[in-house]
Amino acid sequence: MATVTTAAPSAQQSTATRRIFNWRTRQMLLAFLFILPAIINFTVFRYIPIAASIRASFYEYSLLRGLGDFIGFDAYIRMASDDTFWKSLQVTSLFVLYKVPLQIVLSLALAVFLTRETFGAGIVRSAILTPMVTSVIVASIIWAMMYHSQQGLIQSILGVFGIPRQTFLSDASRALPAVTVMMIWKDLGFSFIILLAGLKAIPATYYEAALVDGANAWEAFRRVTIPLLMPVLMFVVVTQAVFSFQVFVPVYQMTRGGPLDATKVLVYYIYQQGFRFQDMGYASALSVVALIIMIVISYLLMRWLRPQT
Amino acid sequence: MKRNGLMLLVAAALLLAAWGGRAPVQASPTLDPGIAAEPALAQGEPVTVQFLTWQDEDSLIALEKMAAAFVASDPQYANVSIEFTAVPFEQLFPTIETAVAAGAEMDLFAADGPDMKHYAYSEAVVSLAPYYTPEELEQWVPQSVEEGSFNGTFYAPPLMQSCSLMFYNQDMTDAAGLEPPQSVEGWTMDEAWDAWLKTTVDDSGDGVPDVWGLRWGQGTWQGDYEHGIMRRSAGPVGSPTYQGVGEDGITFQGYLDTPEAIASFEDYRAWHIGDRAVSPREPIAEIFFNKQAAFYVSPDNAIGTINRLYPDGDFNYGVTGIPYYEDGAQLCHTGSWHVGVSPQTTNLELSVAIAKFFAGPEGSQIWYDTVRQLPARVDMLNTLPEYQEYPQQMFAEGLTAIGIPRIQTPGYTEYQQIFAELAQNVSQGEGVEVAPLVQDAAVQMEQALAKYEGWQEVEPGS
Repeated sequence: MATVTTAAPSAQQSTATRRIFNWRTRQMLLAFLFILPAIINFTVFRYIPIAASIRASFYEYSLLRGLGDFIGFDAYIRMASDDTFWKSLQVTSLFVLYKVPLQIVLSLALAVFLTRETFGAGIVRSAILTPMVTSVIVASIIWAMMYHSQQGLIQSILGVFGIPRQTFLSDASRALPAVTVMMIWKDLGFSFIILLAGLKAIPATYYEAALVDGANAWEAFRRVTIPLLMPVLMFVVVTQAVFSFQVFVPVYQMTRGGPLDATKVLVYYIYQQGFRFQDMGYASALSVVALIIMIVISYLLMRWLRPQT
Repeated sequence: MKRNGLMLLVAAALLLAAWGGRAPVQASPTLDPGIAAEPALAQGEPVTVQFLTWQDEDSLIALEKMAAAFVASDPQYANVSIEFTAVPFEQLFPTIETAVAAGAEMDLFAADGPDMKHYAYSEAVVSLAPYYTPEELEQWVPQSVEEGSFNGTFYAPPLMQSCSLMFYNQDMTDAAGLEPPQSVEGWTMDEAWDAWLKTTVDDSGDGVPDVWGLRWGQGTWQGDYEHGIMRRSAGPVGSPTYQGVGEDGITFQGYLDTPEAIASFEDYRAWHIGDRAVSPREPIAEIFFNKQAAFYVSPDNAIGTINRLYPDGDFNYGVTGIPYYEDGAQLCHTGSWHVGVSPQTTNLELSVAIAKFFAGPEGSQIWYDTVRQLPARVDMLNTLPEYQEYPQQMFAEGLTAIGIPRIQTPGYTEYQQIFAELAQNVSQGEGVEVAPLVQDAAVQMEQALAKYEGWQEVEPGS
């Protein structure tokens, strides 16, 4: 009997546990089904290509002739003495360093200014967001026309102020800044909209408390806005740094990497090696290095910008 | 722990590297003409043939007409439709490569003549040698057969031929008091430069000419077809400069960077920058057709464009010979578009039939009527009345008298990429010495083409 009385609650407990377990399993399964499309997407279009690139980087490889001989780390060793690779890395770094801080400062200023619902704010917000939804290839073509040293709209505007015609895209010292300006214009909307949302999420009570404590506008911005906006800022800085590191289309369309390699960014160089010089193995090795650089940059930026508790 | 992680990463990388090995080589694209039956065609089911080509309005119009004529040419093709996919010229080469490598649906493609050697070398085009008798190959000028062949095996028939001469806007030359000679011999480079300077006009006085003396080459791209002429023209016939590349097709030092070739690149710089500039530093699209340039070096398809843009004839133009260096040689680059059959095709017989039709008498006639460019067919060159009289007669004469194929190498695309960068750097690199740029480009070309060493010994289709 004793056995029966002790066994009964245990069986009930077991059934209950199984029910909870089944419920949890079902919930887990459901959750898994929800994220399955994303997993498939990432696996097929991200992780498998990354693995394939890593593999290809150890071979002689061209699109038409397929994988050739195994060459080990030769492509990586070649990179060390490849002046164009180092130059492209330098150009890419400059592009990121020009673009990201300028874009963030500009978009933050605009977001702060446009947080308040003043007259015309909606129109200005739309104007800022329009380039974001414009195709980058179309934007590149239009800006190349605007920059043209003879027929460009920008030349006419300079002319109004008595400034003589300037060469932008055909001048080695101005081509990269010119491409940077275009890309800031293009991407400004992205950082602006995220920062605007971040600003609107900060409760007004913090500002009221700061006001009571005697803080002026600048102090409130420095001591309230920036710390509370830091997670959003981190997201914007990291994503923009990574996206900027991958810049390709404007360079391909506006300057073809020139003049004198002044705009030959890393991804353009990878494209050239893979699709123009039929050296997909070396292009893969360059891509792997680019990926590692981006992971390192993201990690460092996240550490640097991590909100302090 | 960190060390273990690193070891794991290295092991994973090595595992990935060891995975697979050499990919299976594609089956030889030199197929037996009899093996590919098209059941769909035989049963009268709709068949769609995919044709990849380059983006050009006149050419697309011509191709559509040729496709319609092909379908109408034989009742057995009544159910056939040809779909054209057009990509910009610069993207055509990687698009073909990617399509073949990915096994994408593509039956036919149009490609620039010099690239055919690369496709044949890489087994990305079907040899059409079994479909043409030696007598049939004589229907085209020998340059076209050479450009469509690889190591003696014929791969791709030509749609047309070309030879660039110099067009001029006659209203502008009249205003400048110039009378360009209407003969293939034309002017020397110095004489031409004087004419370009006289026709470079700055009416507004803002320091930037409203009309430029010269646009050398079609479009805005600084490719080898036209921009590679000057450096070869700087040397006499048979010299390394004139040859442009070593016998092995991969040596450029001593050919691209000879003193006379470097001098021609210095002239090229001076055309774009400085007191004697005659051409805009940043290219202007359609500059000649918009009457913003007085002289224009181009093949005769410019005549078709002028006819299309100015149907009322209000564009007075003339043609003179292509300028050349007095101590060198006069030349024009030959070659044009060829039709290749993809090894991915599932409609081999049909695709071959289309390629043969397009390059045959009827297709070539339609092409010519629309595009107005020098035919590759000998019979058309001999019988078309336009090619018996000025100005088009000059292009036919130029082809045979001064026409030479572009450098013959399976690495033409790599060469052209580096050449175009060099041309851009020379024309825009103010303050940078020309000679080191050229010498560096020659080294880069050799490095990029080293992988083709021994290509002349490769058995076609092997």
